[in-house]
Amino acid sequence: MTHLSMEQLLATREPGLEPQVRSWRDHLENCPACRAESDRLDQRTAQLKSLPTLAPGRDLFLAVREKAARERRLKQVRRMVFAGLAVAASVTIAFVSLRHQASQDRTLVAADPELAEVMSQSKGLERAIEGLDQDRQVVDGRTIAVTTSLEDQLARVDQQIEAVGLMDQQARQQRMLKLWRERVGLLDALVDVHLTGARYVGF
Amino acid sequence: MDSYRLANAEVVLPGLRAGDPAAQEALYRAFEAPVYNLARRICRTTEDAEDVMQEAFIEVFRSIGQFRGDGSLWGWVRTVTASKALMRLRRNKYRDTDELPEDILPFKKEDTALRMDLETALERLSETSRAVVWLHDVEGYTHEEISTMMDRTVSFSKSQLARAHTRLRRWLGEEARQ
Repeated sequence: MTHLSMEQLLATREPGLEPQVRSWRDHLENCPACRAESDRLDQRTAQLKSLPTLAPGRDLFLAVREKAARERRLKQVRRMVFAGLAVAASVTIAFVSLRHQASQDRTLVAADPELAEVMSQSKGLERAIEGLDQDRQVVDGRTIAVTTSLEDQLARVDQQIEAVGLMDQQARQQRMLKLWRERVGLLDALVDVHLTGARYVGF
Repeated sequence: MDSYRLANAEVVLPGLRAGDPAAQEALYRAFEAPVYNLARRICRTTEDAEDVMQEAFIEVFRSIGQFRGDGSLWGWVRTVTASKALMRLRRNKYRDTDELPEDILPFKKEDTALRMDLETALERLSETSRAVVWLHDVEGYTHEEISTMMDRTVSFSKSQLARAHTRLRRWLGEEARQ
């Protein structure tokens, strides 16, 4: 009589209904020697499971924590490097866009002396504001509110000036002049606020 | 082995995800022994087992965000440990499918008829066979799971298990069938 091999004996314990495996299971049921072998296999498995748990000879937590922390730091540095590269890329794109915008503005200024004059006034007022000691001049909440409102309006005008670049040449020229005049008016008001306080500029 | 559970796993999980050292230590203390035991049962030396344990915990701390909580935390930590231990075996070029050559083992060929204790017999198996027998019989992994972790076929895992049991039976001096 041919007994089951170890591989066949183990296969009878696995899920599966293949005819071959079924025939091995039938054999196992009818063969006392193979059943005894199966019992020994069970005992061996039980003994393996009951082997003592081996413990590390030393406490390795500090080493683990140090390595984990080092890895976290490296990860942060890597993230910062990637963020820096992203910022550098954005700055490059912004610089290229600004140069493009500036070249469009130069074309408009050359074609319209009035616009050139308004833009020059705007620059003069900006320089005047920069020259003021704003920390000393802005002393009350009302002045701060008016200043903020004027600066918001200026930001909106600047956005519109940028958008004008998309219009056709003639419309662009007219719109640009209007917006730059508005800008000069706002800057003028801002200078007054800084010099005299909010109550003198009609807010 | 499923008795190894962190009683308050839900409490430490947010801390682990935030990289809190106290939560990491709580997890380490809870699983230190079973993680080392699994690593040591697969690796041949205590040094390798210690390295595997460190790698496993660092991996757990790093990847805790991937633990969805579908199974037990210990089940997940155990799989990470087993993978690291098996990687270590591959790295150490212990990919032999037979046990170590008899001449480098600390007993002579005729000693194989002597009754060994299970610990010694287990130690004498090749890394691959020992890993398969431990993962299958003790940790309860299926042949499919073992073959995936070892990057081998299911039949490889089955034949390694059969080979291991055949050798253990002989070395343990168990009676052969009539």
